[in-house]
Amino acid sequence: MSIEPITGRYATVEIEGRAQRIYFEEAGSGRPVLCLHTAGADTRQWRHLMNDAAVTRDHRLIAFDMPWHGKSLPPQGFEREEYLLTTETYIATVLAVCEALGLERPILAGCSMGGRIALQLAALHPERFAGFIAIEASDFQPAWYDIDWFDRPDAHGGQMGAALVSANISPYAPDAERWNTLWMFMASGPGVFRGDLSFYTRDDSLIGRLARIDTSQTPVHLLVGAYDLTCTPEDAERTAAAIHGATCTVMDELGHFPMSEHPEGFRPFFIDALARMTAGKEVAA
Amino acid sequence: MAAGGKGDHAVGLIKEIDVLERIKAMQQALARTPHLVRLGRLFSETVLLQVDEAEYYLHFDKGELVAIEPGPSRKIAWCFAIRTDAAALRAYWTARPTPGFHDLFGLVKIDRARIDGDILCLVKNLRFFKEFLSLGREEVPA
Repeated sequence: MSIEPITGRYATVEIEGRAQRIYFEEAGSGRPVLCLHTAGADTRQWRHLMNDAAVTRDHRLIAFDMPWHGKSLPPQGFEREEYLLTTETYIATVLAVCEALGLERPILAGCSMGGRIALQLAALHPERFAGFIAIEASDFQPAWYDIDWFDRPDAHGGQMGAALVSANISPYAPDAERWNTLWMFMASGPGVFRGDLSFYTRDDSLIGRLARIDTSQTPVHLLVGAYDLTCTPEDAERTAAAIHGATCTVMDELGHFPMSEHPEGFRPFFIDALARMTAGKEVAA
Repeated sequence: MAAGGKGDHAVGLIKEIDVLERIKAMQQALARTPHLVRLGRLFSETVLLQVDEAEYYLHFDKGELVAIEPGPSRKIAWCFAIRTDAAALRAYWTARPTPGFHDLFGLVKIDRARIDGDILCLVKNLRFFKEFLSLGREEVPA
């Protein structure tokens, strides 16, 4: 038997005038690191790092399920709504969670759509954070698929979503973690993955904001897996090049969900990224 | 989709394969994989696999591959078609393909495959079909 050090609780916060019951987990102590999951998934993607003593001995990792995801409920009246995430709502959600949990300038680590919003926050609200780790993140990704595939009355959107995103998982990923990663997509609520992708594939507002990011105040480090078809190394490197002072590392044997699909392969890259999150301090490339 | 496209350096050393023999081996492997047949239990369609100029019509019935019909043919109706080239398919079937060659949609993205026809039919059965296609993959060395 083993009991993990991760603890989970709920916080009800008001986001854009609506009460949202948010599930969050945390582990460790020290510098706070707020972790954002990908589209169509939840905090479970971060569980390996939250169980990693080398990370948590001097970092307090906090992850939360976005409304509609994981153990966070959708808002009251959801049954009559079409869920479509927007940049504005996503930013409001992250800031509201920071405030509710009393997080003082946490490092923000986000993957995929979480990485995208991390870069938006780096441009729009840098004073709220100590640095940004943008994983599988880029300025903009138009869809190479039809997002409506994932919300149909005649098919299982979760099964289709999982089968599609499996294209982004590295063949080096251990089978058990590949399937644990896909399970979250299989179990995602109806229309939720589609609603996340609406934000991810249609809002290109970040492109014009990258130049305003000041990495001398808040470091930005991008991490990208070579097997990521959705945000390719070229996409991440192009994005990093547009942010003065940003750094980018390509992870040869990883895909789009590195912390979840291949935790052992990802941990050295994440530990290195954390070490870079010190403004004004030179860090070896 | 054309030979000489992205990634040829990655596949140049891979030995020639007999595609038809490989598909027959996949047919047998599918029959030995009950969870996959179950996943495909609503899939009774014909799929065209085109490798360079060679055509293979794969007739599925309730998740089983019941017949492999070499082409060319203008008479056989198909639900969707996967069109690729032999070098790309060889790279896809290696144990640990290089990026892009590791997935059907990866081949499409790097312009080494094309999907024609009723793509929704494919997407509704995507896990089944991708796992079937990967039955041709070599084992990762121990």
